[in-house]
Amino acid sequence: MGPLIVNEIISENTNLFLAFLIGIGFGFVLESNGFSSSRRLAGMFYGYDTTVLKVFFTAAIVGAIGLLFMSLFGWIDLSYIYINPTYLWSSIGGGVVMGAGFILGGYCPGTSVCAASIGKLDALAFIGGIFIGVFLFTEGYPLLEGFYKAKYLGSPLLNEVFNLSRGMLIFLIILAALAMFWVGEWAEKRFAHEDYKINQK
Amino acid sequence: MKPRLILAYVLIPLGLIIAAVPENTTKPYKLTADELLEEVKSGTQFISPDEVAAMVISKDPSLQLIDVRSAAEFEKFSLPNTINIPLVDILNPEWEDYIHQDVKLNVFYSNSSNNANQAWMITRQLGYENNYVLQGGLNFWVKTIMNPKEPSELSPNEEIAKYNFRKGAGMALGGADVSTQPGASAPVKKPVITKRKKKKKVQGGC
Repeated sequence: MGPLIVNEIISENTNLFLAFLIGIGFGFVLESNGFSSSRRLAGMFYGYDTTVLKVFFTAAIVGAIGLLFMSLFGWIDLSYIYINPTYLWSSIGGGVVMGAGFILGGYCPGTSVCAASIGKLDALAFIGGIFIGVFLFTEGYPLLEGFYKAKYLGSPLLNEVFNLSRGMLIFLIILAALAMFWVGEWAEKRFAHEDYKINQK
Repeated sequence: MKPRLILAYVLIPLGLIIAAVPENTTKPYKLTADELLEEVKSGTQFISPDEVAAMVISKDPSLQLIDVRSAAEFEKFSLPNTINIPLVDILNPEWEDYIHQDVKLNVFYSNSSNNANQAWMITRQLGYENNYVLQGGLNFWVKTIMNPKEPSELSPNEEIAKYNFRKGAGMALGGADVSTQPGASAPVKKPVITKRKKKKKVQGGC
């Protein structure tokens, strides 16, 4: 019965070790899918490559379905799953900053490490920027604290907001995701770049 | 076939299934009614006064007596080293560390074994372990340990041995004092239990 670590089926150290293995696998798959290319990542914003959207949304819906089936079979207790609490304004603000950094730098925090591991210098610069940002945030925290903690909403769930069952919500999200993939592939043709060939067949 | 179509063919049926089935709301570690009935039938929750007396006298540190009667009754008389958790208060989170732990052997008692049994059932239904019930409650305790009936001289040896143990135990626990000096055994303070590690939620992030 999961989660394994909460129910003391595995120790904290085993958990870290498993996380290490999964992390290596994650990085490997990211890199082999071209996520270490800043052009591919930035393509999301220009429309010529929507792999980012497709990969991460597929991961999300597969993971969500997996969790719901595991809960159905009694393999995991969903009430122990940590849900990040929502601070509305800092979520919006953080999203804007992250998105801007994503377009400017061509990476997100995870993929920058992925790209740095194959020796990309722009990724190293990006990581340097992450540390500067962390430093500034930490030093400036007293100034930002009010904004950071504003509009605390607890851990609201979409299915509770819409008064749906979890399964129903996931089904609707699957439909929405597939529609987005379709739009994405349309955009890839519409905004195709002459010199960008990674995703064009 | 396009990957997008394969994905759609796999995920849409799965999504339909998960949308149609009811959510699993059963909590782990709880007993079903059948399992509970089995335990009730076999009476494994009962622990005899003799066993408890032996543990009290030997000052067994693993024993934790819990009085589930009201605070007023507890003030009047209680067994040594007992904490008072009135039955009505048993679900108070304050007591969770005492009744949901895996270090001590908790023994609930009340005047008869009725209330103690109710307390046991509630905690058992919550999935807590290591909780037991003093068989026959305080009434039976007083009858057997404090004022044991002397067996006839023709009784088998075990009976006499039991009687001798009970008499000794009764004396060690201030047997005769029970009826004459109520309140002689002052209620003890809550013993310190090392807190059970609270289950932390899994943390994660991108």
